[in-house]
Amino acid sequence: MFRRLGHLFDYIFRRRRLERELDEELNSSFEIMVNRLIRQGVPAAEARRRARLDFEGTDFVKDRVRDQMTGATLDTWFQDVRYATRGFWKRPSFTAIAVLTLALGIGVNAAIFSVVYAVLLKPLPYERPDQLAMIWSDFETIAAHRAPTAGPIVGEIEHRTRLFQEISAMQTGTGTFQASAGEPDVEQVKSVQVSPNFLSLLGVHPALGRTFTFDEQAGGRPAIVLSDSVWRRRFGADPNIVGKAVRFNGGSFTVVGVLPEDFRLRLAVEIPWDIEVFQPFQYNIYQAPRSQYYLRVLGRMNPGVRVEQAQQEMTRIAAEIRGGYAQYQKDNLKLNVVGMQADGARDIRTTLIALFAGAGFVMLICCVNVANLLLARAQGRRKEISLRSALGASRARILRQLLTEGLILCLAAGIAGLGLGWAALHGLLRLQPQALVRVGVIDLNWPVLGFVAAVSMASVLLFALAPAIELARWDLSTTLRESGRGSHTSLRRGVRAILIVSEIAAGFILVIGAGLMIRTFEKIQQVRPGFDAQGVLTFSMNVPFARNRSYAEALTFMRDWRSQLATLPGVVAVGAISHLPLDNPVWYSPFRPEGVSDNRGSAFLADHYAITPGFLSAMGTRLLEGRDFGNQDQAGGQQVAIVDDWLASSMWPGQSAIGKRIESEHFTETGIVPVWAEIVGVVEHVRTHELSKKLRPEIFLPFEQSARTPMVYAVRSRVDPLSLTAPIREMLRKAAPAIPLAKVRPMTAYLDSAKAPVNFTALLAGIFGALALLLAGVGIYGVVQYSVSTRMHEMGVRMALGARGSDLKRMILKEGLILTTIGMMLGMGGAFAVSREFSGLTYGIKPVDPVSYGAAIVVTFAAALIGCWRPAWRAATANPVDAIRLE
Amino acid sequence: MHGVGIAERIGQVTRGAFTVKPGSLFPALRRLEQRGSIAGEWAASENNRRARYYKLTRAGRKQLVEEKTHWRRMTSAMNWMLESEG
Repeated sequence: MFRRLGHLFDYIFRRRRLERELDEELNSSFEIMVNRLIRQGVPAAEARRRARLDFEGTDFVKDRVRDQMTGATLDTWFQDVRYATRGFWKRPSFTAIAVLTLALGIGVNAAIFSVVYAVLLKPLPYERPDQLAMIWSDFETIAAHRAPTAGPIVGEIEHRTRLFQEISAMQTGTGTFQASAGEPDVEQVKSVQVSPNFLSLLGVHPALGRTFTFDEQAGGRPAIVLSDSVWRRRFGADPNIVGKAVRFNGGSFTVVGVLPEDFRLRLAVEIPWDIEVFQPFQYNIYQAPRSQYYLRVLGRMNPGVRVEQAQQEMTRIAAEIRGGYAQYQKDNLKLNVVGMQADGARDIRTTLIALFAGAGFVMLICCVNVANLLLARAQGRRKEISLRSALGASRARILRQLLTEGLILCLAAGIAGLGLGWAALHGLLRLQPQALVRVGVIDLNWPVLGFVAAVSMASVLLFALAPAIELARWDLSTTLRESGRGSHTSLRRGVRAILIVSEIAAGFILVIGAGLMIRTFEKIQQVRPGFDAQGVLTFSMNVPFARNRSYAEALTFMRDWRSQLATLPGVVAVGAISHLPLDNPVWYSPFRPEGVSDNRGSAFLADHYAITPGFLSAMGTRLLEGRDFGNQDQAGGQQVAIVDDWLASSMWPGQSAIGKRIESEHFTETGIVPVWAEIVGVVEHVRTHELSKKLRPEIFLPFEQSARTPMVYAVRSRVDPLSLTAPIREMLRKAAPAIPLAKVRPMTAYLDSAKAPVNFTALLAGIFGALALLLAGVGIYGVVQYSVSTRMHEMGVRMALGARGSDLKRMILKEGLILTTIGMMLGMGGAFAVSREFSGLTYGIKPVDPVSYGAAIVVTFAAALIGCWRPAWRAATANPVDAIRLE
Repeated sequence: MHGVGIAERIGQVTRGAFTVKPGSLFPALRRLEQRGSIAGEWAASENNRRARYYKLTRAGRKQLVEEKTHWRRMTSAMNWMLESEG
């Protein structure tokens, strides 16, 4: 082997010496032959002549020797490359269209697949992520399969499990950094309380310091871990932060660690990814009330355990828990185990798969177009190839040359596609859809590129080699003699037809998809969310329940604060709510309408809100019956509630809900208690979770009877909402300097966020549809054009025999449109087949929406018609004499 | 032996059945050399010019034995078959 390499080296770098030596050897051999003849008695001149004849020509021998040298193939390959490049240069339009089309397909697929990979396939950035799972409570009767769980349940799970090596719980919330010497501002941040092993269970290694130890929970040493963002923002990236005490949530906590910059919490969709403060539970969760479900549980399974096995164990444990606690028997508690990676991508999985399929179709169309181009070009080169074959080129040689051409095309397209894909990906990410921001950095990665490049190369090579495959079937002499007419074999025509039909089918599906998504987009815009977001400013602030203030004082503060806000110029209405619509988190819990007995259990779930008077008018939520809360609805007074129309009509159909009573949990001074309240008002349903769904009915309680913190204020004003930010901040600073103003946003921002996923999908679907139309149109044009040009002779004959131009035009159009129709029918069938799978992506329209389908048919037909028109017209207006004479 | 000598010798030994022309000889020699079956070196020839002399390498000798065995096996088989056809 090394010998060969040595020879190769010689061939490349010591060529001249090799040539000289060859020369010398042949010359000396010649002389030796001459000598021998002379010695045999042949006269010198005759000897030379004979020797020369015998030698058969030095150059010929040299050539044959060179062919045997290692590295000879390299030479021929360079030749092929030069020849191919020259060929491409001479046909710039062909080359440009082929390369660009292929690059388009590669680029689009590379971008989409990078996203799919980063979100769905790449393992979570935790240790052994395949062992991680979420454990949810499952309340079948109310179809809540992914509900948070209660403290005692966590204890039971930890106790009884054999298949999980570790269990951890978390509770999301907000926390406040107080102002201090080094930190001038009060600030509210997203925080979580966790079991001490939470971070180590995930396998997160802090950038500074450490994670929690066991004695740092519930009354032990107060410790917190900071995220990188808050460490930089609030503490100036202080390298000595570990060990320092900070004032947080009214107490003093020691910072024990800082998380790395790229850390993201990717657990479930409901859990924010940008938590800034981690602290161990400040109370004993195992002693928490049994019917309070607010904890989220994750676990690490033992090595080798599968999710199904873990699920079986949890089902058994749930049965044991039901047997042991009357409360959970009543609630019919079950437990669900879900792999963490799958859970985290739930919301976006279907969309991504649809986009991936769309990109795949675009690729198909691109490949078809390039294939047609190559086939057409091959057709035109039959003469050239036959000539080379006749001159002695072996089949292998010709094949190699065609292969080289295909490879060069692929290489150029691959490089262009890489650039295009990079640009497309970053353009996509610029839109910042939430589901992608959670994931972190998404970039083109090599497996992606490799996959796409491989696919495109396979298709290009197949069609670049097509002429070679047919070589055997050509009769060389007739090909050389032939004047260029009668050129397509029936096989070629069949392949062409199949290509065009599949292209149209794929394109049609894409256009339908675009139509459906655009209609969904329209429908979402028209959704009445249960409030009017225009002109409303929102902000969040903590209610000052503190050790040194009485409950009543806090309530009074809130009342005064609301009156103060109302005095700002331009303000029309002010109110506050515990959970702002379209924001995280939410609060849902069971309720009991009057007349229903207790052992139905948690059969009725509703979203609960605590609101102050004025909130409903600030948000523009329509009051359908009864009244809003007022100042008379105080703590200790008559218990009242407002419900939404969904709850009213499902609990008391045909009657008014006003005056009926309902039992639900209230947050009071003494704790969380179930309270009976009288319904005094009915409002329209407010879309809290998604614009496209009504998830649960709603119960509104007066803030003073069920006080929550923090509260989110809605301020409706006649002036631009954001202009009120500074005055409000100033006012708060004077009234309560220890309370920070947080999450100041116009309500429209939440609405836009909620619409963003649909916008994103519609945009991409639209782009794919447009591309599909363009490419399919170009494809049809190319194919029909080529067909016409090869049949010019036939056209000429027909015209000479009496056919009119319009007849020819009609004939060609008919052929083109027949192919189109077949393609569209196939596409329609395909679209029907998958419409159920993707019905979750649409809103407000049936999966088989007549408007979208109809529009798609019209548009696709039009594109095909435009593609066929010019060639047809050209055929019709050709001069018959020229056509017959055409070579 | 140098190239011309090899060609002559082949002609001699096969009693004129195989005459190897330079167009076949030299490519063949080059091929064998690239494979490592023969090694060539320059030496002075009979008329005091530099000529390239070739000899079998150890690998070449091994290959020769293999080829011989293979050939003998083939020809025996052919003979048996032709004889049996009668």
